[in-house]
Amino acid sequence: MALLSENDRQAVRGHLANLTHRVTLLFFTQTIAGPETAQIAKQILNELAGLSDKITIEEVNFILERDRAATYGVDKIPAIVVMKDGGDTRMRFFGAPSGYEFMSLIEAIIIAGGDDSGLKPESKELIAGVTKPIDLQVFVTPT
Amino acid sequence: MAFESPNIRAACVEATEFMDLTRKYRVTGVPKTIVNGTGEILGAVPEDAFVRSVVTAGPDA
Repeated sequence: MALLSENDRQAVRGHLANLTHRVTLLFFTQTIAGPETAQIAKQILNELAGLSDKITIEEVNFILERDRAATYGVDKIPAIVVMKDGGDTRMRFFGAPSGYEFMSLIEAIIIAGGDDSGLKPESKELIAGVTKPIDLQVFVTPT
Repeated sequence: MAFESPNIRAACVEATEFMDLTRKYRVTGVPKTIVNGTGEILGAVPEDAFVRSVVTAGPDA
């Protein structure tokens, strides 16, 4: 059974219609004894990929490809790393992307697939002045 | 913000799936943003205030 309703699919397809860059979602999971949310995440991603030919899902085995997980700072699963034209956007999603996280993922894909973060010029100016590493973790719930 | 700066990483974490982190950072309401493991930004803050809080955040990651 599809997780996204026909209405959801129509809306998301519209949001994703203007992507100009290739967006790859690296999906870190494990096949044996993985969390049950990993299956939900996988299905959501596959349904999402069907809504835009600019979106590709690449599944990465969290257990067998430890080095790759470390490279992308993935320390828990399910995890999604958003890539733009093969480069890391430094945007990550941990847990099944349902509810609030789903909408955030769509926004991240739109940003990665375009050329503008959508932030105000004064915000961009402040951010451009950041010289030290900043690590943000935004906690959300499905509802 | 991560899109704008190579120095910024941003992760969206599903709080109910990672209870150890949720406890560690005392997440009792969402959204809650943890900056470099210590700073906290509660709620959906307007862009200007959010960006200012992040760029002036505490210790290095």
